[in-house]
Amino acid sequence: MTQVPVVDVRSLHVRFGDVEAVAGIDLEAYAGQATALLGRNGAGKSTTMRVLAGVVPPTAGTVTVAGLDIRKDTLEVKQLTGYCPDVGGLVPRATPWEHLQLSARLRRLTGWEDRARDLLERFELGDVMNRVTGGFSHGMGRRLSVVLAAMHEPQVLLLDEPFDGVDPIGVEATFEVIADARARGATILLSTHLRDLAVQACGTALVLRGGARVASVDAEEMAGEEGARAYRALLD
Amino acid sequence: MPTALSSTDSATTYRRQGHLAAARRAVADVRILLQFRKQAVRRRHFARVLSLVFLGITVAVAVIPSLVNHGPSSARAQVLALMPSAMAGILVLSMASAIASGGGRELISRDQASPYPISPTTDHLGALLLAPLNIAWMIQAWLLLGSMAYGLGWDDALISAQVVVILWLVFATAAGQVVAWGVETVRRGRFGIALTRGLFVCLAGAAGYIQLTHRAAHFFDSIPTTWFFFGALSPWRLYWWEVVGALALGSVVAVALGAVPTHLAARRMPRDEARMETSQHEPRRMPRGVVGMLVRTDRASVWRSVPMRRGVMVLAVGPGLVALFGDLSWSSMTILPGLVASGGALLFGVNAWCLDGRGALWRENLPARATALFDARAWVLFEFLAAASLLTVGIGALRAGVPNPEEFSALVCTLLVVLVQVVGAAMRWSIKNPYPVDLRSARATPAPPAAMVGYSARLAVSTTLTSLVFSGFAHVPEWRLSVMFAIPCLMWSGVRLARTRERWGDPVTRARVVGTVAA
Repeated sequence: MTQVPVVDVRSLHVRFGDVEAVAGIDLEAYAGQATALLGRNGAGKSTTMRVLAGVVPPTAGTVTVAGLDIRKDTLEVKQLTGYCPDVGGLVPRATPWEHLQLSARLRRLTGWEDRARDLLERFELGDVMNRVTGGFSHGMGRRLSVVLAAMHEPQVLLLDEPFDGVDPIGVEATFEVIADARARGATILLSTHLRDLAVQACGTALVLRGGARVASVDAEEMAGEEGARAYRALLD
Repeated sequence: MPTALSSTDSATTYRRQGHLAAARRAVADVRILLQFRKQAVRRRHFARVLSLVFLGITVAVAVIPSLVNHGPSSARAQVLALMPSAMAGILVLSMASAIASGGGRELISRDQASPYPISPTTDHLGALLLAPLNIAWMIQAWLLLGSMAYGLGWDDALISAQVVVILWLVFATAAGQVVAWGVETVRRGRFGIALTRGLFVCLAGAAGYIQLTHRAAHFFDSIPTTWFFFGALSPWRLYWWEVVGALALGSVVAVALGAVPTHLAARRMPRDEARMETSQHEPRRMPRGVVGMLVRTDRASVWRSVPMRRGVMVLAVGPGLVALFGDLSWSSMTILPGLVASGGALLFGVNAWCLDGRGALWRENLPARATALFDARAWVLFEFLAAASLLTVGIGALRAGVPNPEEFSALVCTLLVVLVQVVGAAMRWSIKNPYPVDLRSARATPAPPAAMVGYSARLAVSTTLTSLVFSGFAHVPEWRLSVMFAIPCLMWSGVRLARTRERWGDPVTRARVVGTVAA
């Protein structure tokens, strides 16, 4: 039986004025799998993630998440996804707990508090859960963004640069979040510049260049020095 | 081929610049930063036209009132008699404005400036240049120039008098900046917050004492600005030259002196901001509804921000005290809500979506209807402006006695109309022209200086006109008149607000706004 992709992107185009940020990306991601999005700056990784998060509408092409058209069913797609944006992602004068409360209320979650506390502890943010995030370091902000994306156990987990500036404990905790999500059958899309970490966390890797997909390979093919050379060749 | 220093070589040492060289470099840096800001102006042609319009208005108010010859000479004399107090007023306004904004506006935000070697002197000079780009400053300056022109009439002395007025404006702005940086230095020191608060309470107490003991007239007569004023009326004589020389020298000294407290303040941690950024807030029970939750988050973003807390206090309490000590009547008090609401909107409302900062991207992924987000934000802005306006009116009401039905009706209607008017305009502009702004610093503004001037001018004109109409209705012995005028005004503003809400529902528009404020 053929597996149906949870995330199905066909010929996605995103245009901001004269700039075409995404120029015809095709992408499929399946339940229980983690897919890495790799590529240089400006390759279209973050824009693709924003489209999947329902933050940016596609200019052309079709995007479905769990069979829902992102244009028509944006609110439902947001219900199914958990998103860690590439920049910031935190309301500067709210505390981590207030972020979690907002997410829980809007997603109509009940009994979420224990899981939220557990995640905060795993990411070593338990001590600062009542402190406004404006004074957080970059790494603390990244870790909290992952917690916020994962707290409601979304069907699709979108992590955009979750390892950027994060210490080894935070990286480990993020790996655990990804592994847990895979184990419960969620689809994970991970955008990063850190190829080695992407290879460790994901089964598949998509390489984007100039707003389009140039390769889709098993993540292991990107491992080691051989993988580095292959990756480099795809970027040039 | 040598590739590195040997142990016997000495490394190049950095030679500290002399004060004069550092000052020259600071001036050059201001020019570079101004050029940088200029490049970021979106509608250059419009900005150029706007600058010419403001210049034209300034020349017009400095000349045209002198040609108006319908008032009796006693009226002109009365205007001239108030000039020394008005001159002192602009000095106080310059100080208050610069103190409230923690030393004045930033030519470039602290975060943007951090990678570059920009000295506190450059920062001080930049703030000084930006000080006049403020509608409150401009109106005061125009009033001063216009009053002098009206008082003197078309006379040979007009030009020489206006030279003194202009020099006074320069001096007052520079001196205000020195005081503001001095206060900021104290505020950033140990017990600084308590000290500055104590100082303001003492000043308010002194003002109250002067007013309540009926010594205001004597106080205003003894203000040293009279020396400058009479000098302005002595064209081209030695006295005039002395005044011009004193003001020019005083301005140069104030500009140079301002660098000293600026450097001192720059070495200290901004305590208010540090306290706010490390503040702890115990979890509270979640509100029942979605909009309630959104409102709570937005409310926290507003009331935990230093520029908003400080700004709203100055805005609400300042005009309230003026109304209290000036013994303002109820009919004149209708002018206050518009003034305060306009000022309040300039604290964050004109770029309302910047409250979320980079968190806007995450918030946009939350499954909430776009209209719910809009409603929450508009409501929080409304209550912020309403709280400030009510506080002002409350302070002013302490001495105003019991209003009659016409006055009460006019005041309530003004309050409602200007609030909806200002919220509508602010939400419209927030969608049309979003800016990536971090409102951490007390010196931060929600939009660039030129845009702020445009916003403040438009808000001032619309709310003042509305307030004047209701002020007139307060004198008509029919309280229903205000209500009858308020209903179509509210409907018009309400329809415009609803249209803006509809626009916010468009995903492409929302993506543009969110992408910009989170950049």
